[in-house]
Amino acid sequence: MVSSPRNYQPLPPRAEIVVVGAGVIGCAIARELTRYTPDVLVLDKENDVACGASKANNAEIHSGIGEDPGTLKQRLNVRGNQMYEEFVRGLGVEFKRQGLLIVVTPRSAPPEMLKKMSEEERIKFFTEVIPRGIVSFGEKAGIRGLQVLSREEVFRREPNVTREALAGVFDPNYGMVCPYKLTIALAEHAVLNGAKVCLNTEVTGFRVEDGRVRAVITNRGVVETSLVINAAGVFADEVADMAGAGGFRIHPRKGATLLFDREVTSEYVRSSVAEFRLPGMKKTKSKGGGAMPTVEGNLQLGPTAVEVEDKYDTSIMAEEIEEIFERFHYLLPDFPRDAVISAFSGVRAPTYEEDFVIEASDRVGGFVNVAGIQSPGLASAPAIVEMVMGILRDMGWRLEEREDFVHERPAPIKFSELSHREKHRLIMEDPRWGHVVCRCETVTEMEVVNAIHSIIPATDMDAVKRRTRTGMGRCQGGFCGHRVAAILARELGIPITQVTKNGDGSPLYLGRTKETLLSRGKGSSLEGEG
Amino acid sequence: MSRTWKPDVVVIGAGPAGLGAALAAREAGLREVVLVERDFELGGILPQCIHDGFGSIVFEQVLTGPEYAQRFIERVERSGIEVLLDTMVLELRPDRRVVAVNSRDGVLEMEPGAVVLAMGCRERTRHQVLIPGFRPAGVICAGAAQREINIEGLMPGHRVVILGSGDIGLIMARRFTLEGAEVEGVYEIMDYPGGLTRNLVQCLHDFQIPLHLSHTVTFIHGRKRVEAVTVARVDGNRKPVPGTERLVECDTLVLSVGLIPENELSKKAGVALHPVTGGPVVDELMETSVEGIFACGNVVSVFDLVDYVTFTAQVAGRGAAEFVGGRRRHRGEVPVKPGRNVRFVVPQRLRCLDREVELYFRVERPEKSVQVRVLVDGKPVSSKKARMVRPPEMVRASIPAEALSGQVREVVVEVVPDEKEA
Repeated sequence: MVSSPRNYQPLPPRAEIVVVGAGVIGCAIARELTRYTPDVLVLDKENDVACGASKANNAEIHSGIGEDPGTLKQRLNVRGNQMYEEFVRGLGVEFKRQGLLIVVTPRSAPPEMLKKMSEEERIKFFTEVIPRGIVSFGEKAGIRGLQVLSREEVFRREPNVTREALAGVFDPNYGMVCPYKLTIALAEHAVLNGAKVCLNTEVTGFRVEDGRVRAVITNRGVVETSLVINAAGVFADEVADMAGAGGFRIHPRKGATLLFDREVTSEYVRSSVAEFRLPGMKKTKSKGGGAMPTVEGNLQLGPTAVEVEDKYDTSIMAEEIEEIFERFHYLLPDFPRDAVISAFSGVRAPTYEEDFVIEASDRVGGFVNVAGIQSPGLASAPAIVEMVMGILRDMGWRLEEREDFVHERPAPIKFSELSHREKHRLIMEDPRWGHVVCRCETVTEMEVVNAIHSIIPATDMDAVKRRTRTGMGRCQGGFCGHRVAAILARELGIPITQVTKNGDGSPLYLGRTKETLLSRGKGSSLEGEG
Repeated sequence: MSRTWKPDVVVIGAGPAGLGAALAAREAGLREVVLVERDFELGGILPQCIHDGFGSIVFEQVLTGPEYAQRFIERVERSGIEVLLDTMVLELRPDRRVVAVNSRDGVLEMEPGAVVLAMGCRERTRHQVLIPGFRPAGVICAGAAQREINIEGLMPGHRVVILGSGDIGLIMARRFTLEGAEVEGVYEIMDYPGGLTRNLVQCLHDFQIPLHLSHTVTFIHGRKRVEAVTVARVDGNRKPVPGTERLVECDTLVLSVGLIPENELSKKAGVALHPVTGGPVVDELMETSVEGIFACGNVVSVFDLVDYVTFTAQVAGRGAAEFVGGRRRHRGEVPVKPGRNVRFVVPQRLRCLDREVELYFRVERPEKSVQVRVLVDGKPVSSKKARMVRPPEMVRASIPAEALSGQVREVVVEVVPDEKEA
């Protein structure tokens, strides 16, 4: 096994609060906790934060329009959406309310429902009953500003949607955020305020005495604590069971998304676009997906929803690719298929009840589960945090705001967004700003170096990519991959053969040339890194 | 940043196209020729192409890539051409204004008399061909693998499957083998090979590496590092045939699934691109749709031989010099159209109509015993026989200057069966 440069923050012997899981929810809770105490420890088994669903979702901040009344999901989604500006303030993360266009088409209602209607009734049903129904449904949930659009208004907003569109609803509350950049920023903000984030640290058990949690046991040692927050995503059920604080099951459901070239995207859509389906028409419980430009401007088509056995199954199946194209070819008929630059898949963490599970365990004292967080988890995050804080208050945890809380997390400089004058000034200060490493996304050596030495250090290729966008463009790292690997090796002080894609077991190179030949000559082999 | 530089011509990219164009422009009399290259050295992709097969037309010698490049680099170094290495062009505007950046000069603004685009091409990636499966380390494009082995001295893998039988894929099959890696096979989705015949013989046959035509990779296994791929036979529509899947254990998947002309800057400048080639529409001077912006080599259309890249570069460099010198005259506009069994022709139009023109084209499908003909307004003006034409190989044809002297409406290039042999 080739060992990778690991993120090894020393594991403290005790912590006031331990958060298990460094996804967006865990990091958001940790950041909030540091408003009151610096003694917060976040644990994650991966080599970076945001390595699960937080890096592979569609980045949507839904308004709550897609959720069922009476669910925790709906309540927290609507509230969370409204809190978002405040939530991201000071983090240096872009949040854009680009809006969602919900398109009503002849496919929006099941054929059997339409059979009995006259042509006139049908038109009225699609152009008035459905859009007004969507708006009044939303208003009941507390979503404001929804607008009914005529067919012409739909095309005025988005000229490239299907000519079969009959009407629409525009939801101005809907927004986009980069989920992994948000997670990184939250984690860094927490660390700036005293929290510790220990990566490559896997929770293997808990010490529970007299019905209360006393310590967290990890692969790297034991941390004494009296308060654990379980935000372990798809593994939340297993983590809860380790403490005897379970009772729910997570069944992994993966979702694949195709990502398209920025230039093509900007010619086709402005806001996100989704086709409306009457409740009950969807195949699964996860939301129907759509065509969504990210904050960086790349269109995403997806996601799919496939129940899987393996919580690590982030593969993409041929059938999923077909399904995505089929679905969105209808919605955006002229969108060019060959502009696809990437595809990714993430694993959702639903419970069988399909709602969030956010509660203090009634079996183990000092153990709070924040589980079953699937879409709209990202949108609900601020409200989930608020709810968790309420639970802690009810548990008797004292919430006294610190006076020394640092409100700003400085955002890394993005060279490509600077003016020529600013670019010039930076290069004159440090020539590393003048080395463009990634051509497609115009990322400089200095940005890569900064990412490697940031508060949550990037120590593998994917971690650098998430922070700087190296390798995220059209060539997908074909040109810059080696350069980034060389900078990682130099800055981390390791041989380049130890640089990994995403932590242990993912080396980019399996050795140096001639080594293979030499080892063959001796009758041995260098293989086995797999 | 302080001053705006006004050279005669800026050549963007210093691979074989840029080197050739800069030299031609200089030799045609331009004084200030600036050659901008984003890499640390001149030569583009050539320094990593350590195999031979370069220069058989230009130098009538068989050279390796570095040797071919070196012949131009030495001339460039003696020529007084201003070379900017490790310099990235960030912007190109329709008025030919160029903004570049490097670590020595900071932001450089240039207003050249002409621009030559010579950015080359990039490799099509795994996602552009949408191979299902996981996203582990160990999936790599052939050209990137070539760089890692030949320049960086690193082994991307030990047990290799290659998808795509383009020339780089074939060459890398041999290269991996010579480095002691095991190449399980080369898989090609089409029912004919993608590379040159000489590479099929020298890189696969001589090393007993199997070539599986009408096959593709249908799944990549391995969460962290490639552990295996599933391969399957495809039908006539290139869809995998159920039941033909086979699991091949490997640690690396090398992709040679096509090259794409790199035209991001061209687009920023408003240069019209051709839907088939993916590169700028050019005339017989290699001038694009934007006045004073020329293009050559793989940025225009992916060539199979570097010699052709050099030829187009020389045309573009001389064209830029004519333009800057005020000698470039348009006498009309004549489209050059693909006829029977021709996919595209470069250049796509003629505007000067005062000289002999070399045409480069690819066929749509393999065909034996053919005649390649150029028709001017329906009349054949040149023809040659070929025993075999195949889509991977660029074909050359020419139009004599005198054929363009009168009133001309269109030029058509066609490939027809050679009747005498049929």
